[in-house]
Amino acid sequence: MKRTPREKLLNPAPGGKIAAARDFGIDLTQLAENLRYTPAERIARNDDAVNSLRQFAEAVRVAKAKQRSDG
Amino acid sequence: MFDLLKAVQMFSAAKVDFVVVGGVAIRGHGGSYVTEDLDICYSRTWENLKKIANVLAPLNPRPRGIDDSLPFVFDWTTLQHGTNFTFTTSLGDIDLLGEVKGIGTFDDLLPQSLEIDLNGYQTRILSIPGLIIAKEAAGREKDRVGLQVLYALQEATRDEQ
Repeated sequence: MKRTPREKLLNPAPGGKIAAARDFGIDLTQLAENLRYTPAERIARNDDAVNSLRQFAEAVRVAKAKQRSDG
Repeated sequence: MFDLLKAVQMFSAAKVDFVVVGGVAIRGHGGSYVTEDLDICYSRTWENLKKIANVLAPLNPRPRGIDDSLPFVFDWTTLQHGTNFTFTTSLGDIDLLGEVKGIGTFDDLLPQSLEIDLNGYQTRILSIPGLIIAKEAAGREKDRVGLQVLYALQEATRDEQ
């Protein structure tokens, strides 16, 4: 029976490119997860991640500034 | 607000001749790495330059790395005076590429691209094999991870391509 892309990523055939990517350090579970979404959803999730990371970076910046002014 | 999906949809809605390349294209195929800029390869016809300018103008584009105090006027003639542009906009960074290394111009990219649906907006993105050609040709250290992702996705989706 033909395996789905997700199945191939989650259980790579030995000696193949997927196994090589895993050995390189790629998290194949993330790729398999992404394949559950439509292309639009995948790009939107990237946008959400960037917005979250920017909020996080801003929070760190504010905390460091406060630390400097308090210190 | 960072919103590259909206930026792509705006180009598609305006019937701009373009192909999404780079990190957003990899994300579209299922890649997992976060990217902060939209790279598109575009047709350099006058008509297309005008369409691109009409999309970008409301997004307050400015060349990245240029001092904010320097005057910058953006219109379609701006796009006549170069091939590759790196803009920061209100939706995020947008890079316009007249050519992609290893493949060529917009016309050369078309056979290497596929049309996808982005919530009702038909958009062309570079195929996985096309992205591999471009990344291999670029030969940059930073692309090594992206290439491994593409090799894995190519093998995983081979029966569907």
